[in-house]
Amino acid sequence: MKFFSILKKELREMLNMQMILMLVFLVVVMYSMSGFVDSAIDESMEESAEIVLCDKDNTDFSKSVIRFIEHPTAETEADNEVKLITLESDDYAAELKRLDKKSFVIIPEGFTDKINNGEQAELIYVSKMTSFSTMSNMNAGSETAVAYIEAAVKSAIFTNKVQLGKLSENEVTQINSPITIKENTIVGDKSSEISQMILYSSVFGQTLLLPLVVYMLILLGSQSMINAVTAEKLDKTLETLLSAPVSRLSVLSAKMLAAAIVALINAAVYMVGMNNMTTAASGAVPEEYKKYAAELGISFGLKYYLLIGIQMLLSTIIALSLAMILGAFAKNVKSSQTLLMPILFLTIIPFMAAEFIDISSLPGAIKYLLYAIPFTHTFMASDTVTFSKTSLYVGGLIYQAVFLMVCVIAAIKIFTTDKIVTASENTSSRRKRKKHSDN
Amino acid sequence: MENEIVLSVKGLSKQYKKGVYASQDVTFDIKKGEIFALIGPNGAGKTTTIRMIATLLTPTEGDALVGGHSVTEEPDKVRKCLTYLPDEAGAYKNMTGRKYLQFMADIYADNKSQAAEFVKRAEEICALGDRLDDKAESYSRGMIRKLLLARTIMPHPVVAILDEPTSGLDIINALEIRRMIRTLAADGMSFLLSSHNMLEIEYVSDRVGIIANGHLLETGAPKELLEKYGAQNLEEVFERVVKNNEVL
Repeated sequence: MKFFSILKKELREMLNMQMILMLVFLVVVMYSMSGFVDSAIDESMEESAEIVLCDKDNTDFSKSVIRFIEHPTAETEADNEVKLITLESDDYAAELKRLDKKSFVIIPEGFTDKINNGEQAELIYVSKMTSFSTMSNMNAGSETAVAYIEAAVKSAIFTNKVQLGKLSENEVTQINSPITIKENTIVGDKSSEISQMILYSSVFGQTLLLPLVVYMLILLGSQSMINAVTAEKLDKTLETLLSAPVSRLSVLSAKMLAAAIVALINAAVYMVGMNNMTTAASGAVPEEYKKYAAELGISFGLKYYLLIGIQMLLSTIIALSLAMILGAFAKNVKSSQTLLMPILFLTIIPFMAAEFIDISSLPGAIKYLLYAIPFTHTFMASDTVTFSKTSLYVGGLIYQAVFLMVCVIAAIKIFTTDKIVTASENTSSRRKRKKHSDN
Repeated sequence: MENEIVLSVKGLSKQYKKGVYASQDVTFDIKKGEIFALIGPNGAGKTTTIRMIATLLTPTEGDALVGGHSVTEEPDKVRKCLTYLPDEAGAYKNMTGRKYLQFMADIYADNKSQAAEFVKRAEEICALGDRLDDKAESYSRGMIRKLLLARTIMPHPVVAILDEPTSGLDIINALEIRRMIRTLAADGMSFLLSSHNMLEIEYVSDRVGIIANGHLLETGAPKELLEKYGAQNLEEVFERVVKNNEVL
């Protein structure tokens, strides 16, 4: 009985009106987002699963291989839709752009001859890398095509040779590994003979670390700022300061500048740390891969860190400004934590999205919804800087600067008016006064 | 006490929303070296009135002149003439008492030597000794209040505004602070106090203003009011004043 009384009291304290409103807001946001995310993932999966083939060999065998992909013999497997393409040149980057595809597989001329001669036949696998997000680096369709082609070739060799009797050593090798794959990865207009997955794996640590650092920087920074403002309000040191012979703008600008300096120090420390970690991690990456990555323009040098650093700095200052504004509305320490929730949502949504999806390739509404969150641009910065999405980077930077200005104006509005003193006051007491005066 | 008026409040009102007055048409004066106290229950409008005078809130109507400067027209000049000690205020927890005094002295002083003078004066007033080198987070409530009172007094303001100066303090600390206020007033400093502890105010103040529901209902010296209303103490005066105004 006593326990339940205490439990009831605790729940009442924890589930206050602010918390309930935030939860309702979260449910509404998540619910409305889920539809967009579903369609975005479906679209991404659909694009990834598309089988695009170019049959340069054009023999009965290559045609039968394509038919096999379209209608697999096993009953458990569903039919596949194969899009056959014709290439106009060997400039794969230009061809991918022209065809508006993420990847394709080429059955080169002489493919059938090589199989018939007992040699390993080569397939050419071309894929485009546009982002470091997980889903954008999946090319399920082309992977499927390669697997089917290998199965079809094995089957053909088995039918034509194994059944005839003894096999030579080369023929055994051919059966075990009937085809080789020559992979080409495209980044922008550059092409390099490296597997997209190998390239992605070699930079995975780097690309995973950056969003995590941004996430921590925003959350820790805004939490410490909201706590500081709340403490200053609750201790009434702010009232003391605002009644002293110093302008409110000086109080505000000192706070903002201090926050910016702390953000700058944080960003610099994290960037140095990241650089060290990357240097250590890149030691494990073979030199050959680094060479290919550099050929494609994927390198994490000073320019990269500088551009990312600017984005991180802006995001952190925005978060600190928002925290400062929200802190003005805090009634107590508990409510300050609840007030932090909007920043938490605005951080976690683009963080998760950027980890899995190439945000710039999303359908219009959800893409612009995510772009409206200022932190999205920093989570995307690794992509926009590396994959030369200059307009997106610059646009994001401008948007962040405008957003920051709006935050600063809002902060000035709050600090230079009565709001800084009255914002957190309980409105119920005012209602009581009104009731009284009405009587 | 001299006749020079250092604070003149004229028809000061604060309306938060249409028809919702926290303070309405409040008028009173404070002379040099006088201790004037606004008394009333919680939510009567004392803090709102004080905040308007301290330039924290903008009056909806009326004005107040502090040392001849208008709170609506010259808030920067007003802030140089007054100091404000909010109710239940704290100090920066990470600062030592001395650092806190230095920080506030830098804000009030025009130069370094004046700041040093302010700090010296505050150190004497608060009498915290070596504890001034400890962080404020380790101070008791009484020590914090003494530190803040010293901070309020150190620039020798024209008017010092103290909101509930002894709230939450034990009898000894409360007595010390009251004595300190009386001594400083005798030296010519003016005080505007607010309190819901009417017995305390009766002891410390020269004149009181009774405020309820945002209206200043009565002003006068405690003795005059006791005689006028035939009361034993200010609490009875307050009760009768409020009842009379309800009847009216």
